[in-house]
Amino acid sequence: MARVITVAVVDDDRMLLDGLRAWLGGVPELRLVATAATVGELLAAADGHRPYGAGAPGYTAPDIAPADIAPPDIVLLDLVLRDGSAPTDNIRRLLRTGSRVLMISTVPDRSRIIEAIRAGADGYLTKDHDLPTLVTAIKDLATGRGAHSPELAFACAHDSSPARPRLSPRERQILLDYASGMTLKSAARRAGITVHTAKDYLDRVKAKYQQAGRPTYTKLDLARRVREDHLDGG
Amino acid sequence: MVRSLPIRRVRALRETTGVGSGTQRARSFMIVATLLYRASHLAVGVLAVAQRRPEVPLPYAGIAAALGLSALLYGTALRRGRFETRYVWADVLVTGCTLPLALCAWGDVHEPATLAWAMLLGGSGSATAAITLPRLHVLGVVALLMVTHLIGYRAVGTSPAVIAGHLNALVSSAVLAWAFTWYLLRQGRLLDGANARALAAEAHKARYAERLEHHRALHDTVLATLTTLASGAVDANAAEVRERCAREASYLRRLIQQTAEEVHHREIGTALEDAVGCVEGLQLRVTAQYHDLPQVPPEVAAALGDAVREALNNVRRHAGTGHAYLTATGDPDGGGGALVTVVDRGPGFDPGRHRPGLGLRGSVHDRMAEVGGRATVDTAPGEGVRVELRWPG
Repeated sequence: MARVITVAVVDDDRMLLDGLRAWLGGVPELRLVATAATVGELLAAADGHRPYGAGAPGYTAPDIAPADIAPPDIVLLDLVLRDGSAPTDNIRRLLRTGSRVLMISTVPDRSRIIEAIRAGADGYLTKDHDLPTLVTAIKDLATGRGAHSPELAFACAHDSSPARPRLSPRERQILLDYASGMTLKSAARRAGITVHTAKDYLDRVKAKYQQAGRPTYTKLDLARRVREDHLDGG
Repeated sequence: MVRSLPIRRVRALRETTGVGSGTQRARSFMIVATLLYRASHLAVGVLAVAQRRPEVPLPYAGIAAALGLSALLYGTALRRGRFETRYVWADVLVTGCTLPLALCAWGDVHEPATLAWAMLLGGSGSATAAITLPRLHVLGVVALLMVTHLIGYRAVGTSPAVIAGHLNALVSSAVLAWAFTWYLLRQGRLLDGANARALAAEAHKARYAERLEHHRALHDTVLATLTTLASGAVDANAAEVRERCAREASYLRRLIQQTAEEVHHREIGTALEDAVGCVEGLQLRVTAQYHDLPQVPPEVAAALGDAVREALNNVRRHAGTGHAYLTATGDPDGGGGALVTVVDRGPGFDPGRHRPGLGLRGSVHDRMAEVGGRATVDTAPGEGVRVELRWPG
C-alpha cells in the first residue's frame, strides 16, 4: 500500500505541535495535513472549502494536493483541550467526518481512557512514546486495525466500572500481560498463541468496549444524538 | 521517614481515644455512680431484713427481687454502655412502686422504720430513670414514685416531716442525677470536638508533610532540569538531557497517577516509589501503573520494595533498553493479595540453560519467600524478562 496516510493533530500545546511536525516530517509514508488547537477549528477550516486545516495556527502547506480537502485519515486528538470541550464529544464529531481517532495525552487518566474508547476512539497513547511507536499506531489505524498500548490495556484490564464488558479468560490474560509492559510477541508466547491471535484478542476487547459504549446512552444522550445527526444531515 | 512520622502520631492519638468517646465515658461514669447509689440502698435493705427476721415470706422475696432486678438493670448497662429502657421501667414499677405497697399489705410491716429500706430503693430508681428516660417520662416516674410512697408511708402512720423528707429525696435524686449527666455529656461533647479537631489537624499536617516532600523531590529534579534548560547553558537535544527529561516526566506521571487514584493504603506504593527512586538516579526510566493497592503488613511491603529494586537493577544491568515497566495491583482474582510485575523488553535469556543470577535468586525469590510470597520469572531469548511477585504466594 503505497498511499500516503494523511494525519491531522488537535492539540493546544504549540511546542508539541512543532515537535510532531518535525517528527512526522521525517516519515515518508505519513503527511501532516493540518494542526489545530480545537476540534471546532479543525472542522471549520474544512467546512470553509479551503484546504483542510489551512486556518489552523502554524499551518504550512507548500502544495495543496486534492487529498488535503478530504478529511485526514487519522486525527491525533489531545485528551484534554483548554477550551473545556468534552473528549467524548470531540471524538464523535471527528468520527462523523470519516477520520479515525488516536487519543494522545500527557498522563494516563484511566477513567477517561475508557470513556474515549467507548466513544469510538481507536487507540490511546501517552505522549512519552517514541516515534516508531507512534508511527506504528498510525499505520495500524490506517489499515483498519486497532492501535494498542500498555496504558490502554491497563485501563481496560483494571476497569471496575459496572458497565465494563465481559472478557473471556484468554482475552483477559493477554490484556493483563500486555498491560504489564510485555511486547505483544512475548505476551503471545507466554499464552502459547501467535502474535496475530493475540492482536485479535486485543482488538476484540476494544470492540467490546466500543459496542458497550452504545447501548448505555441515556434518553437525553439519544435525543441529543438524534438532534446532532439531524443537524448533520441538514 | 519524614512521611511516616506524622501518620504514626495520628494513629497514636486515635488509640488514646479508642477507649471511648467523651460522651461514652460520661455515660459509663453515670452508670457506675447510680450503681453505687443503688448498692448502698440494697445493703441497707439486706441488713434490715436480716436483723428483723420477719415471719412472713414477702420481705425475703422482696429483697431478692430487688437484688435480681438490680443485677439485670446494672449488669446489662455495664456491658452495653447504656441503660435498657424496659429494665428501667421494670425496676421503677416493681422495686419502686409495687414493693413498698406489697410490704404494707402483706409484709407484716406496721411502723415506718421497717418500711424505710424499701422506700430507699425508689430514690436510686428515680436517679436511674432521670438519666435514661425522656424528660416527660421522668416527670411521670417521679410523680408515680411520690404518690405510691406517700400512700405507703401514710398507711403505716408516718409523721409528715419524715414523708416530706423522703419525697424531697426522691425528687433531688432525679434532679441531681439529671444535672450531673447533662454536665458530663456536655464536657464529653466538647472533648470529642477538640479531639476531632486535633485529629483533623494532624492528618492535615501529615498530608502537608507529604506534599512538602514531593515538592522537595520536584525541586531536586524537574525544577532543576527546567531551570538549567531555560538558562540555555546546556544543549537540550543532548542525549543525556533528553534521558533525564524522560525520567523526570515518568516521575511526574506516577505522582499525578497516585494522587488521582486516591490511594488509601500507602504501604506498597511508598515502598515501590522508594525502589524506583533508587534506580532512577542510575539511568533507568520506569513506566509505572498502580491500581487498587491492597493493605499489607509492613514487612510484606518492605519485601515487595526490595524485590522490585533488585528486579529493576537487573533490568538496568542486563536489558540494555534503559526502560522498565512496573505495575502493581490488587490480586485480579480478588482475595486481598498483591500482584507486582517488573517487565523489560530487552534480549531476555534461555531459562533452561541460564542459572538465574544471584540478584534474581537471592534478593527476589528468597526475599519474597521470607514473607510468604512468590516470585516467578518468565523469559525467552529475544523476549524480554517478566518478573512477577505475588503475595500471598
